[in-house]
Amino acid sequence: MIAVLAAVSLAAQSAGSGPVKAPAIPTDVIAPMPSEATTRVAEWVASSGDNRSAPYIIIDKTAAALFLFDRKGKAVGAVPVLIGAMPGDEATPGIGSKTLAEIGPAERTTPAGRYLARFGVAAGRQRVLWVDYATSVAIHTIPPGNAAEKRRERLLSPDVEDNRITFGCINVPRAFYGRSIAPLFRRKGGYVYILPDTKPLEAVFPRLLVQPFLAATAR
Amino acid sequence: MFLKKLAPATVVLVGSLGLGACATKGFVRDEIAVVSQRIDALEQRVAAGDTASRQALAEAQAATGQIQGNSQRLEQLNARVDQIEQRMREAPRRRPRN
Repeated sequence: MIAVLAAVSLAAQSAGSGPVKAPAIPTDVIAPMPSEATTRVAEWVASSGDNRSAPYIIIDKTAAALFLFDRKGKAVGAVPVLIGAMPGDEATPGIGSKTLAEIGPAERTTPAGRYLARFGVAAGRQRVLWVDYATSVAIHTIPPGNAAEKRRERLLSPDVEDNRITFGCINVPRAFYGRSIAPLFRRKGGYVYILPDTKPLEAVFPRLLVQPFLAATAR
Repeated sequence: MFLKKLAPATVVLVGSLGLGACATKGFVRDEIAVVSQRIDALEQRVAAGDTASRQALAEAQAATGQIQGNSQRLEQLNARVDQIEQRMREAPRRRPRN
């Protein structure tokens, strides 16, 4: 699996070589390498079929990276992403009904967990990939507006720390969103696994605990 | 002379006419009886038709009342649907946390 993910990272820099049609990743974005946690979760999802034959995304917050897989578990692409400004794995209760101005700095977290994501309409008639509608977390491109935040520059920079800028949503490069994520998730959506910042990986994905035993039994 | 000859002929003619008149009365009575029967039957049929038409009229009036009631309910429902549609249009969509 590590080899597969590494291959994705390399393939991401050579557009058009992925298993899905036009998984082109912009050449100005350096594809991230998968961490150990990402590899563990990717192996678990692929071997257990936890994605229920749907495409899925793994978001590694510590690496500020997104890894996209098709419904068969084949790695499609990887890109850096912008995530919630504050490290943390929980969402404040009722945050979904707050306006951006009402969200305090400590509340700007991207909550960890496993989510069934679907495309839907949001305020301003924009279409986003809703990850958790209750807490208003979605995957979308960099929103227009506050140029002072320099989101595009942050996305392109190799530094991971400056990728923490959003109110909790996950911002992805436009080309990757349109050419890779949208075609896979458009019809029936898919799953999004957001790895934790501070919690143990097994606390967020408890099935990881039994995975070694299941794998041993399968052999 | 001529009158003397004509008298028997007149008698024969009047007699035949008298006898013919008697036969015509019986015939007419029979014919009237038949016609009366037909008129009675027709009167019965008209009476039955009248009852049926009265029933149909009552049913039509009831149906009209029901239609009016349904129309009123439909208008009320229409107004409620319009209100819901308006609320849906005005309801703010959730804004993602950018």
